[in-house]
Amino acid sequence: MSNKLIELKDLTKNFDDQQVLRGINLDIYENEFLTLLGPSGCGKTTTLRIIAGFEEPSSGEVLFNGIEISKLPPYKREINTVFQKYALFPHLNVADNIAFGLNLKKVDKSVIAQKVERMLKMVGLEGFEKRDVTLLSGGQQQRVAIARALVNEPKVLLLDEPLGALDAKIRKQMQFELKKIQQEVGITFIYVTHDQEEALTMSDTVVVMNNGEIQQIGSPIDIYNEPENRFVANFIGESNIIEGVMVKDFLVEFDGFRFECVDKGFEEMEEIEVVLRPEDLDIVAPEDAKLTGVVQNTTFKGVHYEILVKTDLRIYKVQTTDYAEPGRKVGLSFEPEDVHVMYKMGAY
Amino acid sequence: MKKKSFFSRFYVVLCLAFFYLPILVTMIFSFNSSKSLTRMTGVSLRWYSELINNVEVARAVYVSLSIAILATVISTVLGTITAIGLSSHRKIVKDIVLNVNNIPILNPEIVTAIGLMLLFSSAGFRKGYLTMLLAHIAFCTPYVITSVYPKVRSLDPNLANAAMDLGATPFEALTKVIVPMIKEGVFAGALLAFTMSFDDFVISYFVTGNGVKNISIVVYNMTKRINPTINALSTIVIVVIIVVLVSVNVFLPKLEKRTDHIHPRVRRGVTIFLVAALCLGLIRCGSISSQNHVLKVYNAGEYIDLSLLDKFQEEYNCTVVYETFESNEMMYTKLASGESYDVLIPSDYMIERLIKEDYLQPLDWDLIPNASGLMEEVMDKSYDPGNKYSCPYFWGSVGILYDRNIVDQADLSEGWELLKDPKYKGDLYMYDSERDSFMIALKALGYSMNTVNEDEIREAYEWLVEQRDTMDPIYAGDDIMDNMISGNKAIAVVYSGDASYTISENPDMDYFTPNQGTNIWYDAMVMTRDCSETDLAHAFINFMIDPESAIANTEEIGYTSTVKSAYDAMLDGTYAEISSYLVDDSDPRNEIFGYQDPKIKQKYAELWTKVKAQ
Ligand SMILES: Nc1ncnc2c1ncn2[C@@H]1O[C@H](COP(=O)(O)OP(=O)(O)O)[C@@H](O)[C@H]1O
Ligand SMILES: [Mg+2]
Repeated sequence: MSNKLIELKDLTKNFDDQQVLRGINLDIYENEFLTLLGPSGCGKTTTLRIIAGFEEPSSGEVLFNGIEISKLPPYKREINTVFQKYALFPHLNVADNIAFGLNLKKVDKSVIAQKVERMLKMVGLEGFEKRDVTLLSGGQQQRVAIARALVNEPKVLLLDEPLGALDAKIRKQMQFELKKIQQEVGITFIYVTHDQEEALTMSDTVVVMNNGEIQQIGSPIDIYNEPENRFVANFIGESNIIEGVMVKDFLVEFDGFRFECVDKGFEEMEEIEVVLRPEDLDIVAPEDAKLTGVVQNTTFKGVHYEILVKTDLRIYKVQTTDYAEPGRKVGLSFEPEDVHVMYKMGAY
Repeated sequence: MKKKSFFSRFYVVLCLAFFYLPILVTMIFSFNSSKSLTRMTGVSLRWYSELINNVEVARAVYVSLSIAILATVISTVLGTITAIGLSSHRKIVKDIVLNVNNIPILNPEIVTAIGLMLLFSSAGFRKGYLTMLLAHIAFCTPYVITSVYPKVRSLDPNLANAAMDLGATPFEALTKVIVPMIKEGVFAGALLAFTMSFDDFVISYFVTGNGVKNISIVVYNMTKRINPTINALSTIVIVVIIVVLVSVNVFLPKLEKRTDHIHPRVRRGVTIFLVAALCLGLIRCGSISSQNHVLKVYNAGEYIDLSLLDKFQEEYNCTVVYETFESNEMMYTKLASGESYDVLIPSDYMIERLIKEDYLQPLDWDLIPNASGLMEEVMDKSYDPGNKYSCPYFWGSVGILYDRNIVDQADLSEGWELLKDPKYKGDLYMYDSERDSFMIALKALGYSMNTVNEDEIREAYEWLVEQRDTMDPIYAGDDIMDNMISGNKAIAVVYSGDASYTISENPDMDYFTPNQGTNIWYDAMVMTRDCSETDLAHAFINFMIDPESAIANTEEIGYTSTVKSAYDAMLDGTYAEISSYLVDDSDPRNEIFGYQDPKIKQKYAELWTKVKAQ
C-alpha cells in the first residue's frame, strides 16, 4: 500500500472513571478501506470521534500526514463524517444539505450547483435537489449524507455504522455501492460496524476491537483464517475453540490426542487455544477419523447442514453438505492447515 | 350525540364568555361619556382625548414598550444560549439547573419582586429604568429557557457535530443549524417574554424608582379614584396585544420559510431600533439626575393636584420625583427596604410608628411660614405631639354614606347600629379594612378603638359576626365609591373625603358621622431622616399649605383641607351642601388610631379574616 495518512499512537480515552480506549495503535493508509469491527460499546465510535475531532484523547497522539492534530477542532480537519443516523439538517432541502460545507467556504454559487449535481449523480439521486430531506427513505437519506460529506473532497471519510438503520436488502446494495464510491473517489474510508460480514466483504483492512483494545489487524482473509485469539475467532464466524498445548513447532495436543499443524513459534508445552472452523470439519467413517463422536442434532441451513457431534469431552459444530442422522456414530476429520493455533486469552 | 355536542359548544361559549366578558366590559366603558364604571350614559371619546393629553401615560407607554422590547431581546438571547448550553451537560447538572430555573416561575411574583428590590438596594443601584430592565430580563429569561429547552432536547445531538464536521465554526453551527431548528421555541419564548414584561406590575412596582413608571403602575395608581381613562388605556393595550398576536399568527408561517433570507436592511433596521430604544431609555433615566436639586416625594395614589408639582418645580427650579403608594404598609415596606425619599405623606398611626423607629427628622417650623394658616383643630395630635415631625395635609373622619331617598332620617340616630338595622339588610357595603371595621364595632359597643383588652376585642368580633349573619353586607374596597355614585346600594362605610366626592357626583347621597364617635384621621407631610435636600423639603411643605395651593388641592381631590382659608372657602363655595367636608372633631368619643403592637395587630387580622370567611 501507499503512504501512511493517519497514525494513532497509544491513544487512551477516559470518560469519568471509565477507560474506554486502552492504548490504541493504528496506521491508516491512503486509499485504504479500513473497518473498525467490534461489539457494541467496545470504543469504535469513540475512536472515530477522536479522529474527526469531536473528542480529545486523554493521552496519545493522532498524526495526520505526520502532523499532530489531536487538539485541532473538527472544522479545521480535512476529514468528513457520515453519522450513524445521518444527522441531515431538516430545515434544508437536499441540495442545500449537500452544499452546506461549500457555502461555508463561500464557493461560487455556480460551482456549488455543479458539484452538488455531480454528487447527486454519483449517489444515484439525480433530480432530488429540491426534496425535503425529512421525507426521504432511509437509504436515500444515507446517500445524501454521503454526498454531503464527499462534496468537500476530504482526504478521509469516516462512516459510523452508516447502514445500521437500513433493512437487509438495501444494506447489501449499499455495501456494494459504498465500496464502488470509495474506489471511484480514491480516498481513505474509515468504517465502523459491528457486523462481521459487512466488515469482511467491504474492507481492505479489518481492525477487530474489544473492550477498548485492538485484538487484531489484518486483511479479511487473515482475520478469518488466522484469528489471533479466541475473541477474534468467536467474533468472526462460528468456531470450535478448544484449549490445548503446543507440544512443539507443528505439533499440537488437545482432547487427549496429538495433531499435526502448520503453526510454529510458540514455546514448548505452551498452553494455547485451537480454532477449528465448522466448515473445515468433515464427517467420515469412525475408523478414518481423528476424533469420534455421536451425532446429536442435525439442522438444515439452506446450503449446508449444521451438525452437532458429541465427543467424550465436548460438542463440535460441523457444517457440511452431507446429511448425517442423529444418533449415528461418526468420525471427524480435518487437515493440518485447518488447525489454527492461537495465544490463550485471559478472561473470556 | 346531538345533545352532547350542544353541551360541549355551550361549555366552550361559557368559557370564552368568562375570559372575554371582563375585557369586553372594559372596552365598552372606555367609550362611556360619564365617569361611571358601571352605568353607560352615552358614547364619547372623552377618555381617549384625556389619555392622549396625559403626559404621565405617554411616558409610561414609552417605558413599557422599550423595556418590553429590550427585555425580550436580551432574555431571548440569554435564555436560548443557556438552553442550548444546558443540553450538552450531564443529567444531574441539567436537573439542578432546570429546577432552579423553575423557582422564579413557580415563585409568587411578590417574592421575586421583593428579592430583586432588596438585591438592587443592597447593591446600591439607582432605582429606575435600568433596575426595571434588569428585573424584567431576570424574570423573562426562565420562561425563554423553559420554552426553548424542549426543542433543543429533541434535536439530534450530532447536528452540531455534523455542521462543524462540514467546516462550520461553533458559532456558525449555532446560527446556521441549531437556531433555525429551534426557532419556534425561541419565538414562543420571546413572545412569552414580551407579554410577561409588557403587562408586569408587581415586580416593576417594587424595583422601580425615581419616577420611572410603566403602564401597569400608572393604571394601578389611577384605580383609587374612578378614572375611566384606565379603560381607554386598557383598551389600547388590548388592541395592541391582539394586533401583535394576530400578525404573529399570520406572518410567522411565512417567516418560517424565509428566516435565512431576511433582508439585511431589515436586520439593520431592527438593530438600529433596539439600540435607539436602549439609548433613549438610558438618556431618560440620566436626564433626571442631571438636574441640580431633586426632591423625592412619596404620597398615596391620586392624592394630589398634579399641576401643583409642575408649579413647584418651576418656582424652585428643581425636579420633583413623585411616586405613589397604595397603602401605608406598602410605603413602610419600601422605606424599610432602604429606598430613600425626602418627603412622605403617610397617615397618623404610621407617622407615630416612623417616629418611634427613627425614620424621620424634625421639621424646622421657621422655614414653613404658611403654618400660621393651618387650622388649630389639626395640630398637636397624639400621633405627633407638638407637631415636631409632621405638617398636616388632609384630614377627615370615617362615617356612613347613605341614600337620602331610601334611608329614613330618623334612623340616623341609631349611629353605627344603622349597619345592623334589618330594614336595610342586603343593601350595604362595609369597608374591607380590619382596623376600620373593628373601629365601628368597638365604637358601637362604647369602647376605645385602640383597645388592647381581649374581652372587648372579642365582643367587637361577635358584633361583626352578628352583623354579617343578619345583614349580608358586602365587604368592598375602592369600588364602593363608583357603586354609590350609581346608587347601587343604600348604605356604605366610607372616608369623609370619598363621601364628599361621591356626594358631588350623586346628590341623592349624604354622609353622617355616628354619634357613638368615630375615627378622626390625619395625613401629614413628614421629612425622612435621610433627606439631604432639607431646604427644598421645607419649601415643598410650605408650598403645599400655601392658601392658593391648598384650595387647588382640596378642590381636585375632595378631601378636607387642613388650611383654614381653603377649608372655609370650600364650605362657603362648591362644598357648602356637602356635609362630609366638614370634619366635626368636637365629640370626645372620637379618636385617632394609635400605633398597634404587632401582636395585637395580628389578633385583629386573624379575627377579621374569620369575619369575612363566613
Ligand atoms: N460521552 C460519553 N460519556 C461517557 N461515556 C461514554 C461517552 N461516549 C461513550 N461512552 C462509553 O464509552 C464506551 C465506548 O463507547 P463507543 O465508542 O460509543 O462504543 P461503540 O461505538 O463501539 O459501540 C461505552 O461504554 C460508552 O458507554
Ligand atoms: Mg458506536
